Amino acid sequence: MPPPDVILASVLDGLLLGFVYGLAAMGLTLIWGVMEVINLAHGPVITLGMFGLFFLFQELGLHPYLALPLVVVGGLLLGLLIYGVAVHRVLDAPHLSTLLATFSVNMMIIGLGTAAFTTTPRNVDFSLGAVEIGPLRLLGTRVVAALAAVLFTLALYAFLYRTRTGKMVRAVANNRAAAELMGIPSTRILALSFGIGTLLATGAGGLIATLFPFNIFTGGVYELKSFVICVLGGLGNPTGALLGGIILGFIEGFIPPFLPVGWTPVIEFVLFVVILLIRPSGLLGAR
Amino acid sequence: MVILEVENLASGYGEVQILWGVSLQLQPGQLTTLVGSNGAGKTTLLRTVMRLIRPWEGRVLFDGRDVTNLPPHAKAEMGLVLIPEGRQLFTEMTVEENLEMGAIPSRARIHFQRNLEWVYELFPRLKERRTQKAGTLSGGEQQMLAIARGLMADPVVLMLDEPSLGLAPLLVINLFDVIRRLKEEGLTMLLVEQNVHLALAISDYAYVLSEGRIEIEGEAATVRQMDQVRQAYLGL
Repeated sequence: MPPPDVILASVLDGLLLGFVYGLAAMGLTLIWGVMEVINLAHGPVITLGMFGLFFLFQELGLHPYLALPLVVVGGLLLGLLIYGVAVHRVLDAPHLSTLLATFSVNMMIIGLGTAAFTTTPRNVDFSLGAVEIGPLRLLGTRVVAALAAVLFTLALYAFLYRTRTGKMVRAVANNRAAAELMGIPSTRILALSFGIGTLLATGAGGLIATLFPFNIFTGGVYELKSFVICVLGGLGNPTGALLGGIILGFIEGFIPPFLPVGWTPVIEFVLFVVILLIRPSGLLGAR
Repeated sequence: MVILEVENLASGYGEVQILWGVSLQLQPGQLTTLVGSNGAGKTTLLRTVMRLIRPWEGRVLFDGRDVTNLPPHAKAEMGLVLIPEGRQLFTEMTVEENLEMGAIPSRARIHFQRNLEWVYELFPRLKERRTQKAGTLSGGEQQMLAIARGLMADPVVLMLDEPSLGLAPLLVINLFDVIRRLKEEGLTMLLVEQNVHLALAISDYAYVLSEGRIEIEGEAATVRQMDQVRQAYLGL
């Protein structure tokens, strides 16, 4: 049995990371909730968030947290582009078409990214030191990443529930034909929703870049985690995504003191299958 | 003077043609009713007019402009509003949010407060339930909300598709009172109703749709007296 402070430190580390996982998953779940599209380009979009932050930091010398808003604006524009090019025309086709369309975007980004950036790991060389609470040491970048994820979540909710455009997003998600009849330009709202989904994904990517080294394939790991989280929290539900992320983070923090780290994904995906079997609508249920 | 003109409209689903050249005209300030048996194409007609279904042939003229190929939201923006069959509320949103989503057209946005007070006066129950999710309302309340949401758009022409469907008899009477009030206020309406008797009683003009074609048209009072209509739709 490892000492309790080791377990606690590991769990806290994992929980902080969980908020960022939740943010990434929120991008996936929002797009599903509004237009029933599983965005298989989610991982590469997260990666582009990482590279965006990396280049703004490395080449332009921007502070990472000042670079982040630029990264997410880029993410929004990228999402509008992906929606216009690959998603809109197959939106009303069977789900397989949107899966293939977004998967081809996935392949394009990975292909171009490999050519442009190679697969050499990159690292945002930046540290905030550590926060000491009694015997515990928390990395500053992790604390900020978790706080930033919470801020993104609050901003998303404020947008969806307090602004007219956000309410239009919810209306289109709820009943697209009725929204059109009421004068809501549903195509524009769908494009915007896709953009916001990718904004959240690149935001998560940017935050992850301040924590770990990465290369062009790294986003795929977080895409898989996003699927697990969406199943935990219920696909289509942003709160569920955050909660699912925190649960996943907890598991990732709790296991390493007891078992070799290699077991973590095994346990995560066993959980994924078990939840699918016993509660397929997720812990909070689909919206 | 005609506010909405449908010219020779044809449409259908997939390979199946439903409408075979339907023409009708709405005079401003009048209540026009469209009756017909199940499957005659009434809902298809309204959906084609809004372009929820692509027209195969024919034109839709609104206020003299050809709007045949404008998407539904652009038509709503101009004041052509459909309250669809089966309510189609935003069930996950509150009553007041639904009403807010009714007032998207810029014309309606300016008069939001005034219209909100007006629909709350028409349907006091909605005011009591304004923070409740639309999906949790009773069937009658949902129908009221569907109509109120349509009115929030400040329509120039309001089309109502089977508004009394599934309502208890007392609520049907209330509904027709509201429609009569709207008519008195000068709103141009096209009413599709299974309640042919009531619809003909309050309408100015009537069309009878049968197998995707207009079979009969005329002053509602005249149509009401026709043997054909009495037998087929009034059960007399």
